[in-house]
Amino acid sequence: MKTKTTAKVLGAALLTMALAGTTTVYAEEQYTIGIEQFAEHGSLDNCREGFLEGLKEEGIEEGKNLTVDYKNAAADMGTCGQISDSFASDKVDLMVGIATPSAQSLYNAAMDAEIPVIYTAVTDPVAAELADEEGNPVGEITGTSDKLPVKQQLEMIRQMLPEAETIGIMYTTSEANSESAIKEYEALAGDYDFKIETAGITTTADIPLAAQTLIEKVDCMTNLTDNTVVSSLPTILEMANEAGIPVFGSEIEQVKLGCLAAEGLDYIELGKQTGKMAAQVLKGEKKASELSFETIEEAALYVNTAAAENLGIEIPEEMTASAAEVFEEITEAE
Amino acid sequence: MDFFITIIEQGLIYGILALGVYITYKILDFPDLTTDGSFPLGAAVTAALITRGVNPYLTLPIAFAAGALAGVCTGLIHVKGRVRDLLSGIIMMTALWTINLRIAGTSNVPLFSKETIFKNDFLAGLFPDAMGSYSTLIVIVILALLTKVVLDFYMKSKSGFLLRAVGDNEKLVTALAKDQGNVKILGLAIANGLVALSGCIFCQEERVFEISMGTGAVVIGLASVIIGTSLFRNLTFMKATTSVVIGSVLYKACTAVAMKNFEPQDMKLITAVLFLIVLLISMERKKKVKINA
Amino acid sequence: MLELKNIYKYYNPGTVNEMCLFKDFNLTVKDGEFLSVVGSNGSGKTSMLNIICGSISIESGNIILDGKDITNAKEFRRNEKIGRVYQNPALGTCPSMTILENMSLADNKGKKFGLGRGVNKQRIEYYRELLRPLNLGLEDKMHVKVGSLSGGQRQAMALLMSTMTPIEFLILDEHTAALDPKTAEIIMELTDKIVKEKKLTTIMVTHNLRYAVEYGNRLLMMHQGESVIDCAGEEKAAMNIDDILEKFNEISIECGN
Repeated sequence: MKTKTTAKVLGAALLTMALAGTTTVYAEEQYTIGIEQFAEHGSLDNCREGFLEGLKEEGIEEGKNLTVDYKNAAADMGTCGQISDSFASDKVDLMVGIATPSAQSLYNAAMDAEIPVIYTAVTDPVAAELADEEGNPVGEITGTSDKLPVKQQLEMIRQMLPEAETIGIMYTTSEANSESAIKEYEALAGDYDFKIETAGITTTADIPLAAQTLIEKVDCMTNLTDNTVVSSLPTILEMANEAGIPVFGSEIEQVKLGCLAAEGLDYIELGKQTGKMAAQVLKGEKKASELSFETIEEAALYVNTAAAENLGIEIPEEMTASAAEVFEEITEAE
Repeated sequence: MDFFITIIEQGLIYGILALGVYITYKILDFPDLTTDGSFPLGAAVTAALITRGVNPYLTLPIAFAAGALAGVCTGLIHVKGRVRDLLSGIIMMTALWTINLRIAGTSNVPLFSKETIFKNDFLAGLFPDAMGSYSTLIVIVILALLTKVVLDFYMKSKSGFLLRAVGDNEKLVTALAKDQGNVKILGLAIANGLVALSGCIFCQEERVFEISMGTGAVVIGLASVIIGTSLFRNLTFMKATTSVVIGSVLYKACTAVAMKNFEPQDMKLITAVLFLIVLLISMERKKKVKINA
Repeated sequence: MLELKNIYKYYNPGTVNEMCLFKDFNLTVKDGEFLSVVGSNGSGKTSMLNIICGSISIESGNIILDGKDITNAKEFRRNEKIGRVYQNPALGTCPSMTILENMSLADNKGKKFGLGRGVNKQRIEYYRELLRPLNLGLEDKMHVKVGSLSGGQRQAMALLMSTMTPIEFLILDEHTAALDPKTAEIIMELTDKIVKEKKLTTIMVTHNLRYAVEYGNRLLMMHQGESVIDCAGEEKAAMNIDDILEKFNEISIECGN
């Protein structure tokens, strides 16, 4: 009897200790992160989703050991600064910036607070001075870059439209990402016998007129990851379709909405990659300053056969076959 | 503590902008929208100069001069071109978008790696490490105080009197044998110089120039001016310039509190409500004074 | 001395509403004259003042002040030697500034408005001395904002301010019309006093026939851009209100009123 009781007591004690041990472990690893997303649109949302997925895969999950403070700046610079300041004063464990203005604003706030920053969807971290020319972080800040696969896009357009001569690109003059992307387009276009026509806008209100001007001058259009332009994609598609001008996208969401095709980045994958980097920093395995920023090299081809039909374009079979995803209908924007 | 420091820093930087808006809106009675363009103009000039290695302290007077130039243009459009005040400001504000882009070179110029008025060898030597995080606040307080004192000095001068006169009764200025158009242009120059100065300081504090940073600047300025002048209307000992700067700090406090407790999307509505409450309270006090008198 | 020579003024030239106000209008005002101008509405009294000051332009003609042709001079330039008081008391002072500040402004007329101190502390007593004879109590209210004063008080200030610095010409544009009878009396007496003290050449436009008769040493009645009465010196002193009224009626009948 006594042995049994002792055993029971010992067993209970061991169990309690084990449980206590686990709860202590859980209590130690509570993380709080602040996510600042610059604007509300599909690609950035995908980034965020992917990011949380990536963290989860590394054992850091919202609700279990992670509290997420997510704030969207609605594309307003002033709001950006205030969000960053509030994260810094809340002393979160990690700050995440989705898109360049958020990343820069967080970096500024983090400098004095010594909180690491992870960014994603920053097209050119070197130009944004978040990394030096060799790709090394300038401080406790690192992340992933969504540099556009311009070469692959041009190749793809040439394959699909053997006769086209001019490509039109609409962009917002206030987006630095767009400027650097256009420079790359203009540099590489010649290799594929293309000329680039651009139309710069300031706000959404300028889009219809700019679209009209472009449509009259070009054989086809292609998109960057320009927040304002992408938000008004349905308007642009409608006008372009009426004129029979194909519009190429820069990522999967845009093809779903009716762009003919895209050599695009999978923003969810990009987000996951970022999440994994963040997990390393949170767990203390690596410091942000020790991780160079990463990019996704492979672009995947997405096509929309319904759009092709509307435009009377035949997509070469080998393209449809090699595509990562083929959409057969045009979805309404959410 | 950090929370309050940030509010004061932002409030004082925008306080300088509010001083500029005070001159055009209250003194000249000229609703000037140039502000949305001259604020980033100060920042663009600053970014352009700092990336070229110019001493950051020089950016302060140069940015002021650039803003003054913009103000002169608005004034010329209004006085010589006889364009309505509101429209003159809109024309300049629109033109400045392109001009600012050209000056800065691109829409986003980061200054993280450069010396600024907040981060340089001189300051590093001046402040011991423990005070390091307060150095920004101290620099801003000094700049804001200096600006306010200089402006107060100017407003008590003969030229300052003339400025107040032209907004009150431009016929009197003509009767004093002075060209009221020129006085207005001078006022616009000084006001926009202050706004650009504020943009210069803001850009160095944020360590980045963004072309869209001016959007809504005039609204923030007006809110600060109105909050400040309404709340402190009955305190005769408090100069208008002081109340305007305090108004700016209060406005930033409102938005910061709104940000902390609500979603960013709701922030503007919350700010508007807080703004309205402040105005209503100050109206109530005015009524009470009337009844008692 | 002021000369208006061959003044032609059209309102709304080239349109359906074209109206010729002055056709070869001439007027000479000698130094030291105190000219009262009366006339029906639309006779050109105020337009004449505006033409002299430069507030409105003329089609042709010359305005010569002390031998200098000021026809093309801008309004603010002409005001260097001209003082003007308007009918509306609000136009002569700055409502949001104090009495002291207003007087300091006026005191500086003709000098540079630079970075020197706006208020000269040593002049404050002098301003008080100017305000005391008005018997309006203003000398004790130096720090009160002018906007809170009554119309009569503001007009008194406007009068003082426009004559504080040396001027050659004083233009009074129905400056008592908006005041109650008692205050109007005070202002007219003040006007007379200042004009006599400073020996100012004055043109006063008024609807008040009594004032026109009592004050000044020359009387002008205008009608449709022409002068129909112009008497000075003894002839004017002999005139009374009934004479003027008679003339008014004459004109009205002529025009078929």
